[in-house]
Amino acid sequence: MISDIESRLKSKFPDSLLNVVSKDKRITFSVKKEESYPILSELKDIGFNHLSDVTAVDYIDEQEFELTYHLWSHQEKIRAIVKVRIPRESPTVKSVVGLWTGAQIHEREDHELFGINFEGNPNLLPLFLEDWEEIPPFRKDFDTRKYVKEKYYLEEEGYPVVKG
Amino acid sequence: MRKMGYLSDKFSRTFTPFGILKNLFRKPMTLQFPYETLPPVEGYRGRHTIDLEKCAGCFICSMICPNKAIWPAEFKGRRYPQVNLGKCCWCQLCEEYCPNEAIKLTPHAMMVTMDKESAILGLGEEGFVPRHQ
Amino acid sequence: MDIEEKEIAFLTVPFGPQHPASGHFHALLKVDGETVLELEPHPGYLHRGFEKLMEYRIHPQNCVLVDRADVLDPFSCELGYANAVEKIAGLEIPGRGRYIRTIMAELGRILSHITWIGVLSMVLGFDSANKIAWGDREKILRLNEIATGGRLYPCYLCVGGVRRDISQEFVDETSKALDYLEGQLSFYDYFVFKNETFVMRMEKVGRMSAEEAIDLGATGPNLRACGIDYDVRKDEPYEAYSKVKFNVVTRGEGDAYARSLCRRYEIAESISIVRQLLKNLPDGPYRMELSPVWAAPEGESYFCLESARGEKCFHVVSDGSPCPYRVKIRAPSFLHTLVEFPYLAKESTIADIPAIYWSLDSCPADMDR
Repeated sequence: MISDIESRLKSKFPDSLLNVVSKDKRITFSVKKEESYPILSELKDIGFNHLSDVTAVDYIDEQEFELTYHLWSHQEKIRAIVKVRIPRESPTVKSVVGLWTGAQIHEREDHELFGINFEGNPNLLPLFLEDWEEIPPFRKDFDTRKYVKEKYYLEEEGYPVVKG
Repeated sequence: MRKMGYLSDKFSRTFTPFGILKNLFRKPMTLQFPYETLPPVEGYRGRHTIDLEKCAGCFICSMICPNKAIWPAEFKGRRYPQVNLGKCCWCQLCEEYCPNEAIKLTPHAMMVTMDKESAILGLGEEGFVPRHQ
Repeated sequence: MDIEEKEIAFLTVPFGPQHPASGHFHALLKVDGETVLELEPHPGYLHRGFEKLMEYRIHPQNCVLVDRADVLDPFSCELGYANAVEKIAGLEIPGRGRYIRTIMAELGRILSHITWIGVLSMVLGFDSANKIAWGDREKILRLNEIATGGRLYPCYLCVGGVRRDISQEFVDETSKALDYLEGQLSFYDYFVFKNETFVMRMEKVGRMSAEEAIDLGATGPNLRACGIDYDVRKDEPYEAYSKVKFNVVTRGEGDAYARSLCRRYEIAESISIVRQLLKNLPDGPYRMELSPVWAAPEGESYFCLESARGEKCFHVVSDGSPCPYRVKIRAPSFLHTLVEFPYLAKESTIADIPAIYWSLDSCPADMDR
């Protein structure tokens, strides 16, 4: 049950869970970067054995990345969402490949598109892009339209611009 | 034994009346295009038509187009939309958000051309004629 | 006694990015004789950067753009995006809109599974079943044309409901098409699924146990063939799925043949779902009118749905402007092709590689986005 899981986590890590929300068969909370790996391995022991996704969001105004781990338990049919904030200058976090094997490819994609470094991941070679020399493309300070115009359009298109 | 069962199974399947033979006597599914074709459905998203009387020149169609395929062109002192059919993704958003119902999509779907210039549907010398058949 | 120094060299064979072998997906096989030692996937032929493109466009434009993210099952992508945005704002869709969305989603699932039968038979060398399946696809593409105006890319859903209503002609044609497809299922049973050659090529090939499947991140029919009944339509119901009765198909063996049978029985379940929905279709409005520059309030949501390939999830973050701040699509084919396929291809022969790859039912457009 969802209240059992919440109480078990709170008793083991009394000060680490922030902003806990539990309703509709989902429990959501944020943790600090240093405690993310122990809490995730505790969640795996409770029974959350399916890792859906590892997503990254770029909050450029606050100079932080936010990583979100989405977990699902086949036994209890409950979803757990764990959020971690890491600084933007040198983003590194410990990899969860030891807990779920499928996390390896999610972290490889996030490393290529955002530049986040996962320590312990065996293979972080680029996945989609070849010979890429700019900054990681999914960050907010990379302008796709400007890049395409400079690289691929040899002359300006002869259309009048409509303002508005 | 396994081999015996396999052979007798194959025997019974080859001589069954319904099954493979039913497919032999079926009408073929293909239609010989262009001599026969399925009639297009009424709401099919094909080539655009622009009604010059109704157009108000607001260019909501140009702003809503996801691929920037509609651009203004001047004709007789006013500006009308012209559509680049090579970039259009046939989504019908321009028809949905036009306030005067001036731009519509017709079921005409046979558009083939070898010339990139003729894919721009809009202004010719005589007015708004499509530049290709 | 001389000690000989032997140099072992491996041959690399490309499982190339052309259509007879795989779709738009390239893999390098390291072989020793007939046995495959290692498989190295090279994705990226269809990477269009959807998640970045969607940050520059407003919500009606995104609903039209996102159904190119999974070419073989476009309704699931549109459903996921529209529902995720509606969940942030807490919108209530009218009942008729929900029923119509569910009907089109199930028809899209049937279309995807019939396409899968055709392509799998072609790759195993069985061309007759390929052509017959392609002819059966036309019935559903005709239904798409009547309801939405386009055969492959529907552009049908929007935030707030559906863009057009369905007519009586659509309801009649759907009933006729479902009767025809049900007759065809017994033909496929006889022609493909109980075919001696097909069974010999697919049985005991690419076997996964339940623990391995969960650890590698499998979902959808690939996981249900190992015995675990995880179906998002039953565990977290969305749209009108709480109002219909259907079974979740599971098998126990976990090999390629069990995965094929799971998909075949899912077609029968989908046909019965559509029949139940058409019988109880409510009247009323089908769309909530919203302005094109409607902005969702600040917040984020995570919406999961069951596409034809597995669990597909949309993570949408909104910051109060008409364009979304971040959209992430969790594609099921991403894990099936890049994590499970290399795991299952070890210690198998070259002739088993197409059978394993196509029994996992992965779409390269879904994998790369």
